Amino acid sequence: MAMNRALLPEMLQCTDMTVLDRQRARFKWQQDHNFQQQVQENFFGELGGVFSVPNPVQGFQNGFDPVLLKPDPEMENGWPNFVGFGPCGYGNGPGFDVNYGISRTASCPPTVAAAAAAAEAAVENRELALPEKITSLAAKESSKKRKLDKLQNTKIVVGEDDPKEKRIKGSEEDGESKKTEQNTNNNKTSSSNSNNTTTKNKNKNKKENSADTSKENSKVSDVQKPDYIHVRARRGQATDSHSLAERVRREKISERMKYLQDLVPGCNKITGKAGMLDEIINYVQSLQRQVEFLSMKLTAVNPRLDFNNIDNLFAKEEFPANTANNNISTIGMSSDMNNPASFLQFYPVQQQLISSTGIEMSMINPTDMGLRRTISAPVSLPETFINSSCFTATPTWDADLHNLYNNVTFDQGRSFTSQPFTGPIEASNLKMEI
Amino acid sequence: MNSYSPSSTLKSRFTRRFLRALMKINSGQQTASPRDVHRRYRRVRIAADKSLALAVGSRRSWSRALLCKIRTQKRRHRRRCASTRRISSTTSTQREKCLGLKGKSRELQKLVPGSEGMDLCSLLDETAHYIKCLATQVQAMRCIAHSCNSP
Repeated sequence: MAMNRALLPEMLQCTDMTVLDRQRARFKWQQDHNFQQQVQENFFGELGGVFSVPNPVQGFQNGFDPVLLKPDPEMENGWPNFVGFGPCGYGNGPGFDVNYGISRTASCPPTVAAAAAAAEAAVENRELALPEKITSLAAKESSKKRKLDKLQNTKIVVGEDDPKEKRIKGSEEDGESKKTEQNTNNNKTSSSNSNNTTTKNKNKNKKENSADTSKENSKVSDVQKPDYIHVRARRGQATDSHSLAERVRREKISERMKYLQDLVPGCNKITGKAGMLDEIINYVQSLQRQVEFLSMKLTAVNPRLDFNNIDNLFAKEEFPANTANNNISTIGMSSDMNNPASFLQFYPVQQQLISSTGIEMSMINPTDMGLRRTISAPVSLPETFINSSCFTATPTWDADLHNLYNNVTFDQGRSFTSQPFTGPIEASNLKMEI
Repeated sequence: MNSYSPSSTLKSRFTRRFLRALMKINSGQQTASPRDVHRRYRRVRIAADKSLALAVGSRRSWSRALLCKIRTQKRRHRRRCASTRRISSTTSTQREKCLGLKGKSRELQKLVPGSEGMDLCSLLDETAHYIKCLATQVQAMRCIAHSCNSP
């Protein structure tokens, strides 16, 4: 049977309704609302022959008149959305993830009571067939998902101003978010919610509550107070709370891993937590080494910068030596900083400075892929010692870096004379002072 | 994502603090003795860490732990020369491969300050924020070094 759309506006005027009629009206609204979102096709395919009432649904295919959905102030008490629903009860937004299988969110129409009220006064003859179908549908549905009844939360939807948008948003959130649901919380909240409503609507709500939890698997998203997290049990998967919580935890971890993959360069091809953790560890170590190296460099610098020059600093963010520095500075780290005056002059920019003062310091020429050390006669330079064990060059880093690492040979026992620093430091002071 | 993304203000906050500290450290005469140089180096590094932690604020566990460590280090250093932070990897790449997930996450916990006793989920969260801030710090310090080198 198909409900005549033209009758609905009339029905809205009526306020007398039975519980069942409200359910029916809600169900119809649900179907209509969900058709607009074009979700039904998925469920029809999935459920196969479960849903046996396609006809009444098609009557709404032309779209629901939005005027009918204006909030009814009379129904601010809120209604539990116990609409019996078949596949059409999955009123999620366009972002709905089909992978989650059959979802259980049913968005409650704002004027559900109004619509329900309207439905009552209308053709009861036609509606007689519906409840049977609803129950049969629900029975078939629930037989598959009876376990999930516990996890379903039937929340009372509080009708307020402009609830329609909120509910649609809420259902979208529900569809897209991954959250966990806890049994005890659910039961408590649902029972407390039901208690609240019973104080206002008394008998009717109680009946609806009991009917719902026993038969129907609907879930209402309460946008105003998301006390707990919803989770959809996938088809064929365990539905007890432990495995659900475990699954949610795993999803959180993989979500963070993906985020870290974007942060750490060169991790696009690495799949798996172990490899990613390795990369992350290496990257953090390299960053910390870079900080040490740069602070070492800055020790010799006398920054006579005004704070006006900070803007200049930021403007030079993309200076071209950046990439080269990255390669080189990562190996400029010594693990043994207790040696007095370890000074590693690997910085290529300093080459000009150094050569201009007539002092040749050890430098890396990236094109040569090798490390040369030249020490001029008057000045013997201190050298840092790279502990090769602390240098972890991974294949994801630049090839230059890797080759450099292979070519680096340091002997770690070099002693250091007290003389050498005057030369380079004075030179650097000459050039670096601003 | 739920982690906080350090905007340019973090960079400017860090740079301001760090430059101030740097000028204070390097303002004295630049002695050539290796011990002085090493001491200055250590002060610069501590200043870098401290500036970063203060710029981030105390909303993150790692920044709080970093500040706490710096303060206790200061106290210990007054009595005797405390060892500074070392970037020595406790496991080589080979051993890292053998370690399971738990070993690696413990390894990561050692690297990220203040992350002991965290489950993997929040550890990853903390690590992501830490990496972002470290990258900002490295970039800012590089800018400073570059601008000082080539005026």
